[in-house]
Amino acid sequence: MPRSQQAVIAEGLARQGRVAEAVAACYEALAIDDRDPATHALIAELMLGEDFYDEAIAAATQAIELDPDCSPAYLALGLAYDRRGGMWDQSVLVWHELAEVVPDLVIAHVQLGEAFAAAAFDEEARDSWKRALELDPHQSRAHYNLAIDALKREGMTTALPLIRTAGALDPSQDALFFSLTGLPAREPFGDVAADAPREVRYAEAVALARAEDFFGAVDVVRGLLDEAPDDAKALALAGFCYLKQEATNEAMACAVRALALAPDMTEGMYVLGTTYAQRPGLAKHAARVFLALAKASPAEPLAHVLLAEALLGLQRYRQARAAYAAAVALDPSCVRARFGLAAVLFSEGSYAEAQWHIRRAAYYDTKRLGVFWDLFDRYVEGGAA
Amino acid sequence: MACGARRDDAKEVERVPDGEIERLYRAFVETDPATAIRVVEQVRSSGVAQAELFDALYVPALAMLGDAWARREIDELSFTQAAVVAEQVSSFVMPPLARPDTGVSVVLGVMHRDHHSVMKNIIAGALKEAGYRVFDLGIDVRASDFLERVEETGARVVVAFAEMLATARAVAGVRDLLDAEGRSEVVLLVCGGPFAADPSLARSVGANGVISSAQGALDVLERVRRDLLEKEAG
Repeated sequence: MPRSQQAVIAEGLARQGRVAEAVAACYEALAIDDRDPATHALIAELMLGEDFYDEAIAAATQAIELDPDCSPAYLALGLAYDRRGGMWDQSVLVWHELAEVVPDLVIAHVQLGEAFAAAAFDEEARDSWKRALELDPHQSRAHYNLAIDALKREGMTTALPLIRTAGALDPSQDALFFSLTGLPAREPFGDVAADAPREVRYAEAVALARAEDFFGAVDVVRGLLDEAPDDAKALALAGFCYLKQEATNEAMACAVRALALAPDMTEGMYVLGTTYAQRPGLAKHAARVFLALAKASPAEPLAHVLLAEALLGLQRYRQARAAYAAAVALDPSCVRARFGLAAVLFSEGSYAEAQWHIRRAAYYDTKRLGVFWDLFDRYVEGGAA
Repeated sequence: MACGARRDDAKEVERVPDGEIERLYRAFVETDPATAIRVVEQVRSSGVAQAELFDALYVPALAMLGDAWARREIDELSFTQAAVVAEQVSSFVMPPLARPDTGVSVVLGVMHRDHHSVMKNIIAGALKEAGYRVFDLGIDVRASDFLERVEETGARVVVAFAEMLATARAVAGVRDLLDAEGRSEVVLLVCGGPFAADPSLARSVGANGVISSAQGALDVLERVRRDLLEKEAG
């Protein structure tokens, strides 16, 4: 698709998050060619990011009028309708259109389901989420929505396992563990010598685990333990690797031993709490461990989320709400915390507030996944989705 | 054999007879689930409550297992096989899943001409999980249906849900029927937007209390349960 130099500059500025300059460049691009759907879609996205919903709706609508196949414009329009509120009928139509324009776009079905749910078409909402899961069984937001749906129909007992399933699909939980190690993200070097300093080898083991080479990570940990079997951090990392391979008892064995050696070690708390949370009947144990974790790492949003989920299992809804709220305050884009908070708000009859959190989660989730830019790139490269 | 875990967990295991944790650990390593179960049964019969077995016996044995693996006293394969045995035994040491039965029966439902079921479902689930005997009449329930089910079940508590002003006012009919049939001791609780918006409404329909959330339901029902127990004792 031929595009003006100004349009390309606007796009570059938008990708850098320089919103005001990007908007100015967009209008310069429209002065050259006011029939470029991609530029109108870009304005819509920029306006949405600044909470100018009416402007976003106008720009996205213009883009779609110019080209009914302009997929990024449908995304911006649907999100703008949803966040503005009270426009469920239009929202449902837009998500339908997006799902038709880009049939393999899983998030379109998730959003469509959320629009249906907001309009109280629960059956249709469920069908949309199930369709999303057919396309991608690991779509965590579809699971979160089905959990909320289960909560409304049958109560928290049914909803909680689904919330946990969704959480397990969410990569942010692994990120918590790596954050607790205190090591920066990096690729494994791959050639760390066996006689390298312990901290270098430990860092390599963490990097291998982060790269999901769990056998490699355990090999390095094995070497560390051969020298010092009471190395609590190495044991906790081994526990994490076992946990990721669904070897829960091995993970628990490593974690309890690690915590026996170093009761305040947060990585050990994370592994032990997670193994407890996976077993029915151990909600009290999980809550105890995650409470210690949240106290030891109060700046980690996911620590509060894990505590909140354990508290839900104990029917301590008020405390769970406080823990979820703490997580949202620390990270407003935390989808898992937003959905959890929505679940608690449903249990309090605060449906409108719950829906608000779900809509916020939707916005942040599409942003986190880069859905707009993915659609935008496909559109400008192919001339259509 | 390293005993670090035993030393560190001394406070947890003080009620478990000497040597039993190590016996359980040995049973894990020797892939002997029958012995492992026997150890659990013996420790339970020695007086350790089911709710404590996990912390007092199982976790320290697992810690010994982790320690043995770290020290290479067992190899990777033995570690995995021991974990399989630990899995087989786990159901014997888990704390009881269900909460104890409170003995209190609760009849609940959404008032006639009202189809707002979300809150009713959430609260019914919470109460069931907390050990209440819940009789969920569903939606669109007439006052006479509440009474009928109270008489069938001997329930001492009714929770009426209403999300519209007209159906909220109709709860008065439930109280009237209960009184007329000599069931005025039945505790009538109400839940729904109109009651939250106007606290005097609940009183005017003869309700004994208002529930506003799942947590609120658990709190109110706990108070009701205590009152009922005191009345029975008195």
